[in-house]
Amino acid sequence: MNLDSIKKWGTRLQMPLILLLVILILAIFQPGIFLTFGNFRSILLAISIYGLMVCGAIYPILLGGIDLAVGATAAMAGAATVLFIVNSGGSDSSVLVGVMAGLATGVAAGVVHGLIVSSFNVPPFLITLASMNIIYGIAQLLTGNKLIPILKPKSFTAIGGGSLFGVPSSIYILLVVATLSYLLLNHTTFGRYVYAVGGNPVAAKMSGINTRGVTLLAYAISGLTAAMAGIVLASMNQQAFARAAQGYETNVLAALVTGGASLMGGVGSLQGGMFGALLIGLIDNGLRLMGVPSQYNGMVKAIVVIAAVAFSAYTHHRDSGLARTRRWQPIRQTENRTARKEPL
Amino acid sequence: MNPLLQMRGITKTFGGIKVLDNVDLDVRAGEVHAVMGENGAGKSTLMKILTGVYPKDGGTIELGGQPVEIDSRKQAAKLGIGMIYQELSLIPTLTVAQNVMLSDEVTTAGVLSIGAMRKRVAELVRTYGFRLGADALVETLSIAQRQTVEILKTLNRDCSLIIMDEPTASLSNRESKVLFEIIQTLKAQGIGILYISHRLDEVFELADRLTVLRDGVKVATVERGAMAPADIVKMMLGKELKAVGTARHLHPPSSPVTVEVDHLSRKGLFEEVSFQAYRGEILGIGGLVGSGRTEVLRCIFGIDTPDSGQIRFEGRQLTGGTRRRIMQGFGLIPEDRRNQGLVPLLSIERNVAVTNYDSASRAGIVDRRRERRLGSEAVERLDIRPARPSQIVSNLSGGNAQKVVLGKWLLRDLKVLLVDEPTSGIDVGAKEEIYTRMRELADNGVTIIMVSSDVAELLRVSDRILVFHRGRIHWEYSDGAVSEESVLLAASGLTPEEGRPGR
Repeated sequence: MNLDSIKKWGTRLQMPLILLLVILILAIFQPGIFLTFGNFRSILLAISIYGLMVCGAIYPILLGGIDLAVGATAAMAGAATVLFIVNSGGSDSSVLVGVMAGLATGVAAGVVHGLIVSSFNVPPFLITLASMNIIYGIAQLLTGNKLIPILKPKSFTAIGGGSLFGVPSSIYILLVVATLSYLLLNHTTFGRYVYAVGGNPVAAKMSGINTRGVTLLAYAISGLTAAMAGIVLASMNQQAFARAAQGYETNVLAALVTGGASLMGGVGSLQGGMFGALLIGLIDNGLRLMGVPSQYNGMVKAIVVIAAVAFSAYTHHRDSGLARTRRWQPIRQTENRTARKEPL
Repeated sequence: MNPLLQMRGITKTFGGIKVLDNVDLDVRAGEVHAVMGENGAGKSTLMKILTGVYPKDGGTIELGGQPVEIDSRKQAAKLGIGMIYQELSLIPTLTVAQNVMLSDEVTTAGVLSIGAMRKRVAELVRTYGFRLGADALVETLSIAQRQTVEILKTLNRDCSLIIMDEPTASLSNRESKVLFEIIQTLKAQGIGILYISHRLDEVFELADRLTVLRDGVKVATVERGAMAPADIVKMMLGKELKAVGTARHLHPPSSPVTVEVDHLSRKGLFEEVSFQAYRGEILGIGGLVGSGRTEVLRCIFGIDTPDSGQIRFEGRQLTGGTRRRIMQGFGLIPEDRRNQGLVPLLSIERNVAVTNYDSASRAGIVDRRRERRLGSEAVERLDIRPARPSQIVSNLSGGNAQKVVLGKWLLRDLKVLLVDEPTSGIDVGAKEEIYTRMRELADNGVTIIMVSSDVAELLRVSDRILVFHRGRIHWEYSDGAVSEESVLLAASGLTPEEGRPGR
């Protein structure tokens, strides 16, 4: 085994080892509570929601952008679905249409983000941050700022509340969506183009890649999976609520960056994102089990995010050799930056 | 009259190599003194010694008759030596006055005296007769106006000597005229100007005297008018060494025309450019940086749209963007390979494949076997080292990185290859390999259009040569002899003996 392959396995095993370490620590300090079936179930339930969001949110991140509106989009889609089902009497067929309608709201939000980001010289975090508030507003209008309970039909409540062989149904949904996202990212030309555009938008454009189309699709997918998460969450909680998934964007971002994705774009993997989701889930759970007051919970996660982002920015800058550029600058500008050199 | 600046016997060694050897240079008050020489002749090193960036190893510097030691930029500024950098160092979101006074702020008890600073800048503007508002935001100014702000900055520090390094490189004709007027004003105020430029025409218009450096040695200092431009070029090249080896006989092509550029114009960049390229030839395009060469290539490749004119390929007019062009068999090796040609954190294989998914995928699904074969084929055929398709390209040397860019097009059904500065920053061995590949492609019927600032390269590789000057094809060599000297003269807009005027 040469040094290179040791290094390669080192990076591959990094995340599983960190996870194992966290599990060990929790198992040693809180064996009585941590190592119970019920606890693992609650960890998985939490992870399944933002894990779903990660499956799509990774695309804007890989492009060097970000979708901060995933939590809001989830709330809106959940509310739209529940309202549709409740208002149309709660038949099984209305569940199907309602879910479709919910997913459509998510895709629509994503398409709007993608259009704005790819058309104007504006940072994606600002666009999606502003749009987050708009979308929460829509969710509030939809729900009239009230809890909308939905206890039937079973075809809806089973989406997030059912289980098979003792495993929550939402975990199966996550597995299917994660597999699809993995295939899309690793076995399609679209996936290849995402890495190319994220890694160097100018070179990608000069290689004939439709960078606008890629950007549009990336944000649309992020909207779609956020909507899925919102619908599963509504079903799990048997209610829709305008602030249902508030703050989830932090967990999603934390999962992605701890999983090795670079905010500069071009670097990251779905496997990494999933490991990151598991890690965040365990940290959440561990803090609660150890009786750490909830206000510290957010602080700890924020520290994890800052550390991971600083680390990834450092390694990205070191490895790529590209000038540190602001990613949201329009492609036209950077491309025209012709290298100054002495003529003749 | 006592000279303003007197440098004597300046010597500088880098790692055992003498880059400046006993160089003398003097500048009189109110004089424009041009410094000329090829790349690596020692011009910038000399200027860096003068501005305190490098310490000198030997020699003396006198300013106004007083010997001085310049050990830092700050010291140089204090002594009244100002430099207008190629890369302008202004802050675009601040006003003219704020930029001029930056780091020279006037304060009263620690508080900025904004009014006093604005008044001072307005006064400077008035004194020198510049057309510029002190409160204008720098980002709203043209490049020439920004240069004026840089000049104001040096004037504010009471500079008596201003160094200008290629100040017109990114200026249009009209903007250059404005700059020249400003230079005349500065002269009239008794300020000495050291003017570094590759543009012979400019130098002959502006300079009172000029000094030619070659390989770190001063060849001569001459009064303007004492010598013809052609003689200056000979001094720069050291003709007895170079002219023999590089003169070349060109042969007109006999194959059919493939690419036809017809009266192509893009405002402010190039005008009325018309030429034809033939199947199986390498058409070289020379000229100075900023003469419109790269911009014409970009239009041919569909990155930019021309304002008027046509580009035809095999008789049909070309429309659409880059993607369409690639499908028609075009390829581009851009001038800035790291920022425009490659995705640094992806592997050799993925970089090569990125232009080839039309053949390496079906219905959007990547054909992994074909993709892998593309990677290994590129590595093998171009002898890329390390010979591992999974290698990330950011770690490759310049030559190997360029081979990867070439690999993106080589494995396609290529008909036209546009090449911009193919070997800048590449070692000699890799250079030869790239020339060989280009010739192979041409022999297989590919039309190659190559932009190059390296005259030796143009002569070595091209079948025909066009020389751009200020956005137009100034000179054309399609058969007969051509020498480096001739191409250099043509690039400066002068009239060489060989070749003929472009259309």
